[in-house]
Formats: sequence, C-alpha cells, structure tokens
Amino acid sequence: MIQIKNLSHHFELGKKGRKTILPVLKDINMEVRRGEIVSVVGKSGSGKSTLLNLISGFIRPTEGEIWMEGQIVSDLSEAKFADFRLKHIGFIFQSFQLIPSMTAYQNIELPLILKGEEEKKRKEIVVRMMENVGLRDFQDHYPSELSGGQQQRVSIARALVLEPTLILADEPTGSLDSETESEILEIIQKLNQELGITFLIITHDEEVAQIGDRTISIRDGRIMEGANAV
Amino acid sequence: MRLKDRYRFIRQNIKKNRARTFMTILATAMGCAFLIVLASVGYGLQQSVVKETLEDQVVTEVQVYGKESAEGYDSITVADIDKLEKLDHVKAVTRRTQLRQMPIYTLDEYKSEAMAVSAHYPSEIASGLELSDGRLPEKANEVVVGYHFSDTLVIDSEDVVYDEETGYPEEEFRYKGELIGQTILMTVKQDEEGNVTEEIPLTVVGIIEKPGREWMQDRDVYISQEVFKQIETFTGTAGGGIVYDSEEIETGHLQVFDQVNVYADNLEEVQGIVDTLNEEKYATYSVVSEMKQINTLFTIAKAGLILVGTIALIIASIGIYNTMTMAVTERAPDIGIMKAIGANPKTIKQIFLLESTYIGIIGAIIGTIVAYATSVVVNIGLPMILEIAFEEEMPEGLQFSSIPLSLVLIAVAICLIVTILSGMRPAKRATQIDVLKAMRREI
Repeated sequence: MIQIKNLSHHFELGKKGRKTILPVLKDINMEVRRGEIVSVVGKSGSGKSTLLNLISGFIRPTEGEIWMEGQIVSDLSEAKFADFRLKHIGFIFQSFQLIPSMTAYQNIELPLILKGEEEKKRKEIVVRMMENVGLRDFQDHYPSELSGGQQQRVSIARALVLEPTLILADEPTGSLDSETESEILEIIQKLNQELGITFLIITHDEEVAQIGDRTISIRDGRIMEGANAV
Repeated sequence: MRLKDRYRFIRQNIKKNRARTFMTILATAMGCAFLIVLASVGYGLQQSVVKETLEDQVVTEVQVYGKESAEGYDSITVADIDKLEKLDHVKAVTRRTQLRQMPIYTLDEYKSEAMAVSAHYPSEIASGLELSDGRLPEKANEVVVGYHFSDTLVIDSEDVVYDEETGYPEEEFRYKGELIGQTILMTVKQDEEGNVTEEIPLTVVGIIEKPGREWMQDRDVYISQEVFKQIETFTGTAGGGIVYDSEEIETGHLQVFDQVNVYADNLEEVQGIVDTLNEEKYATYSVVSEMKQINTLFTIAKAGLILVGTIALIIASIGIYNTMTMAVTERAPDIGIMKAIGANPKTIKQIFLLESTYIGIIGAIIGTIVAYATSVVVNIGLPMILEIAFEEEMPEGLQFSSIPLSLVLIAVAICLIVTILSGMRPAKRATQIDVLKAMRREI
C-alpha cells in the first residue's frame, strides 16, 4: 500500500543568507500493507506529523521516495497529487478541519462535488454515510452546532464518501474526551474489519496506538530500532 | 467539479459578504454605465448627423455639377448626358434647366411670379419622382408645379396684406381652389421693360410631393423642354434670358443643364459610379461619399469615447481586485481544507475566476439597464434644458444618445475582460495557498 524508501526531510529556517537547516526525518524506511492499521507514535517534535504530511503530499521530501498504489507519488505535481488524494486517500484530522460555513451534510458532500458526482447519487451516498456514523438527524447543523465527537464523525464520513483504500489519521482523538475517543476508535476498527480500509494513524496516545496491527516508534526523526517498520 | 456546483459555491461565498459584493457590483455597474452612456453620445450624434444628411436625399443619387476643363468647369451638355446614361448601373439621369427670367403666371384674378424649370420627364419618372396629386405631363403645354406654388398665386390687387413676420400674403388673398386641370397663362418678357411679351397657356396636370423638411419651399413650375425651347426662340437667348442689349442676341446656342443627377440602380453601386465620374473629371456630390467621411470621423470619436469609458471600468476593476483578494484571504482555511481533501488547484482557480466573472456579468447587466435609462432621460431632458438655457429651438429629432446592440456587446465584452483580468491574480493566489498553514489558520 505505502512504501517509504530512504526518506529524509529538513526544513530551512530563517531568511536568505542566514538560513538554518533543521533536519526532521532521517533515512526512514517503512511499509504499510493493505488492510493494516499502523500506528506511528512518538513524542512531540519527533517528526511523526511531518511524516504524515509527506505521505499526504502537503510537503515534498528533501530526499527519498514514497510509493503508493504501485507508483512514486513523491514526484507528482501538486495537481496530480491532489487528484491522487481525492481518488485514494481519506483524511481524519485532530482539529476535524470542517468548513464552518457548510452544514454537516455539505461538508460530507464536498469530496463528491470535487469528483463531479451527480447530485442524486451524492445525496444517496451522503445520507447513507450520515446514517453509518449516526448523524442522520444532524445533517443541517453547522460544525459550530456539533460536539467534538460529532464533528469527528462528520470528518470520518467525509473521509469515507469516496470509498478510499487508505485513511491517514492525524491524532484522530486528540481533541476528544475518553468516552468519545473510544467511540471513534471503535468506528476505525469497524471500518478496517468490514471494509478492509488501511489506516495510518499518527498519535502520541498509547491507547490509540494499541488498536493498530503494528506500531512504529519515531524518535528524533529516526525509526527506533526494533520497531516493526516493515 | 460540475459548473452548477461551482455556481452554487460562488453564490454561497457571495452571500457571506453581501455588502462588499454589492458595492463591487455597483462600482462595476457604474463603470459599465459610464462607458455606454459616454459612447452612446457618439452613436447618438452620428445618428442625428446621418439622419440630417440623408433626410430628403435619395441615397442612390449622384449630383453632377460640371466637367473640369482648362478654363475651369464646363456645364453639362447633351453629349455628357448621353455619356452618363451609358454608364453601368445607371438607372436614370435627370436634367433640369432653369429659365433665365422670372415669368408671371395668371389664373383668373390671381397672379404669381415663380421660377420655371425645364425637366426631362422620362428620366424624372425613372428616377422615382413622386407627385402629391395629379399625373405627369404627357403633352408639351402640360406642367407640374411645386407643392407650394398655389401659395404664390395671390389676388392681383393693391389691397393685398402681407404677413409682417414671414412676408407672405395673408391666407385670405391666396388662391384656394383646385389647381389640377386649370390653365395658367405664363407671360415671358423679351426685354427688361416688358415691351415685348409672349403669353403661353399651360395646363397644370400634377403637383409635386411636399419637400421633406418644413423650411423647404417648392414654388417652381416644371415646364416641358418644348415650351422651354419656345421661350428661347422668343427671347433669342440661351435659357430664355431677358435681352438687355439687342446686340447680345445669340443666333445659336448649345443646350446646357443646370441640375444633373445620376441615379444608380442600387446603393452598392453608388461609390463605383462616383469613382468613374471623378475619373472622367466630373465634379460630383454623393451622400454616400459624405456618409463615408462622416462615419470615419464618428468611428474615431466613438473609439476615443469607449477608451475613456474603459478607464472608468479599470478603476472599478481595482474594487474587484480588492474584493477578490479579501475573499481569498478570508477563505484561505476553507481553501486549505479543500486542497487537503483533493481539490485540484485548477478547480480552485476557476471558482475564483468565475466569481469575479459573476460580479462582472451582474455589473454589466445593471450598468446596461442604467445606461438605457440615462439615455432616455438625456434624450428627453437635455434638449429641454438647452432650449431653456439658450432660448433656441433644437433641431427636430435630435438624438444626443443612442445605444445600439453593438455598443452593449462591446461594453459587456470590455467589462468582462477587465473583471476577469482583475480576478486573475487573486485566483492564482488562492491556488498557491499552503495547505498546512491554511489548516493551522496561519494565513
């Protein structure tokens, strides 16, 4: 599903002439197989979020390759990576990243609109998704009118509408209480078992990491020795 | 992403900032209206000038004044007429010659002094001469008279009262009866004192159509060429002029024409005939040639006015640029989310371009409606204001402003180009938004 080969990344800080190089990831090699739940754990600043952003295509690696669905995606242009994301990847973010001016229904409908799906088909899919995540009665609510758990469920429904093969989750329960956290983790496990969706979860929470088939630890930009990276 | 969905997106976005979008649309509408109204003055005045020039003129007519020679210009002769008639696409060549004296006409107790003109009726008929009453002459002593000829027939008395303003005899002294079928007696003089005169009875068979303009008066009597020759034989002079000195009497003279008009069989051929005649060194005047010059002049003026109007639109475009830049900044987090879940940068660019185009289209529609309303008000109000201000009557049918469809299309096209161009940079900026910064609300 995902293969990362010799991936390194650094950030350039400061202005021209006084630039400082800040290495974040060093020589990362790892693999995520189809149907797995892989958790990436590490302390704050360890580079786990950067790793997710590189896999998402939000930033480009300084060195190395990222393979997904049998092709090198780290070389794709911005437009092509956007198309790839729309087609293959679903996202769950810590802060939900819902558009505030859109209702729950409209937020879930957004990827279908971007894909150019017909309105009738969109409605059918969105209603089904809302029922699946238990939000049928909240379709006309704006994100500000929903609880954290409800917002994350909207976010999950949005990630699922285009039936992706991979979901990248960045601290999916980071903004939720423990009860809601368990609900969300249950949904993730259910989706993995029933639909075979691959999950790559970035977290610093041990409880979240435990739902994974494998846990990869990152420290100071390197995968820790003994971690099940492959 | 479907066009319908893009449009829905734009409407949603516009709703969020109604006041700002309304002000931008208003500025665009004002710019567009200014452009149209300004250029409409050029169009309106052109229309008025063209209308004024074309009024009472047959567009297929080419007036021929004479032929260039070593001494200056020679009058048109019978030989010239033959030549003109043989030109391609010439429908008719009318020729008129004015009698060189003012005859007196008598009808019962009424008398009149009016010019006599010899006309060639077959060519007049071919050229499309219209009568208001009666028919065209068929015999030598039959005549048609100008529309206002009857006004000149006044009771032969010293008691006739003349209008102080116009100088014309009062209505009650004028001839009011039917003219058609009446025989008028034309008296021509041989000498200045009128010692030797000849009376020629003429039957009025037709009255020529009223001239198109109010101020034009047609009082002439149109005699046949036979009667004209009879007068020439009587006076012994070319054109039937009065003999001032008996030694001046000519024994033979060449027939020349004062007013020669060539009629083309259709409008497209007029310029060709004018060119041929000019090559042959004839002095000509054609309304088509004049129109060409007028139109060239007005085209330059209109282009200038459109250019000035475009400046107003460019100023309005600054507003659009500002609105779109603000919209991009405000929506940066939304754009970031859209990009993160897979929105193509091209789609985002198109949404913003469509939004500025939407503002342009609405502005252009409102601007056009306002321009039409302004045009109507200007056409009604301005002549009234000018008449009051200058105490002078404006020409009838004077149009200050005219908005043809072509002007609307030009203005809408300019408006759209300007608005799209002003939306380009903000739209490009939207595509360049960094996903991570946008999602962290750092923009």
